[in-house]
Amino acid sequence: MEMAEQIESTVREVGARVRPQLDDAKRRLTSLNSSVTGYIKENPGRCLIGAIAIGFLVGKIARRA
Amino acid sequence: MRRMVVMETPEQHPSNGHSTEHWVNDSAHKAWDRTRGAVSELKRAAAIEERVNRHPYGSVAAALGIGYVLGGGIFTPLTSRIVALGLRIGVRLAVLPMLKDEISVLADALGGEGEGKGRRGGRAAKPSGER
Repeated sequence: MEMAEQIESTVREVGARVRPQLDDAKRRLTSLNSSVTGYIKENPGRCLIGAIAIGFLVGKIARRA
Repeated sequence: MRRMVVMETPEQHPSNGHSTEHWVNDSAHKAWDRTRGAVSELKRAAAIEERVNRHPYGSVAAALGIGYVLGGGIFTPLTSRIVALGLRIGVRLAVLPMLKDEISVLADALGGEGEGKGRRGGRAAKPSGER
């Protein structure tokens, strides 16, 4: 019983320590996602042509390899 | 006969007073305007902006795929690897829940059968207090 309590308290401690970092990472990822989608929506032609060009290059490289 | 404006030569309008440089400039402007018009028409027809607004990542992925195919990467070992990986993941995702259900049903059936046998045999599942 004592060991179980110890494990529980350790898990709680670790959770409390990690939670702010997780929240921060979540916030950063959300803002990154919104900025990327915003950029794509603002410049659709540029993004699509760039993606086609990148895919073309990857296809060429894959063909040679 | 109707002539294209872009194909006009200075000789066809000798009296308009434009120099060759002006004529080239005008022609380039007209060609650029027409190209822009064609591109905007194509955009409108394909509703590219709407699609990009609805699915930004999907549109970019589709464009990447189109480029990959245009680059000749479709019949390559990389494609076969990607397809094999996708198939493996798909089969796992589709088959594992089915297998899990089947195994749980089988286990339930076996458990029920075992309990039935135990009851019939009279040996199994004696309460621990009786031992």
